[in-house]
Amino acid sequence: MKSISKMTQAELAAYVQSHLRDKKINVTLSGGAAVSIYTVNKYVSADVDLVEDTYVDRSKIKAAMEEIGFHEKNRYFTHSDTQHIIEFPSGPLSVGGEPIKHVNEIKYTTGILRVISPTDCVKDRLAAYYFWDDQQSLAQAALVAMHNRINVSEIKRWSQAEGKIEGFKIFLKQYNVEKQNH
Amino acid sequence: MLEPLLGSKGSEKVLIFITARSEGYAREISQFFSMGTSTVQNQLDKLELGGILVSITKGRTRLYTFNPRYPFLKEVKLLLEKALSFYPEDEREKLIMDRRRPRRRGKPT
Repeated sequence: MKSISKMTQAELAAYVQSHLRDKKINVTLSGGAAVSIYTVNKYVSADVDLVEDTYVDRSKIKAAMEEIGFHEKNRYFTHSDTQHIIEFPSGPLSVGGEPIKHVNEIKYTTGILRVISPTDCVKDRLAAYYFWDDQQSLAQAALVAMHNRINVSEIKRWSQAEGKIEGFKIFLKQYNVEKQNH
Repeated sequence: MLEPLLGSKGSEKVLIFITARSEGYAREISQFFSMGTSTVQNQLDKLELGGILVSITKGRTRLYTFNPRYPFLKEVKLLLEKALSFYPEDEREKLIMDRRRPRRRGKPT
């Protein structure tokens, strides 16, 4: 097994997830780290957000994380051998008002990583753009869309359900510009 | 009113305040309801951790609003708005009729 100091972000997430799975704690990678994976690190985030699939007692997570050398500080978990910060946002796993039902599984030498799909990753970023007008999130959504097969009509349907069809049009424009430039 | 459901009066008051005013910070919420600031801050922390609220800093103030990405937000807000309509008239008015328009610094109120 690779040492934690040599693990990439995805390998580390897979390692932590697999360890937690053994303790019957199921979590899925979302947020900026999912963007990093789907953009082959064109976007880099130090945060690893592992969303709880179902409610888990915090003390159970803390005990499991301490077994592999992570310590809690201000609700985040850090390890002396890595700069990555692990957080456990409360579930349910969702984008906007809708639950995420299908997640991808990627096999690494350190374990199996459960991660939201590229389409849900785009929605996740778009949610931040739609609700907070966060331009970085819009750029990340376009980057993920560029590097992966995504379901554009599903993103349109979801955007409409969120009442954000105008925002979707802006995303589509940016996505098309990015596509032309590559 | 929603205390049995939310688990504490503090949670209810914080959520009712933010429902009425769209945003709030610990000191103003605690002053409005005559509660301890640390009690209110604990509730805000708990609600933020649960994903119901999010916060940003404005100057030296940490301002809390509903998290637009919370999957049950629409339903929670409907419940809170209904609860707010049951609040005593004077308290509801004080909550809602908060002066938001600008007033030059130093001008007597």
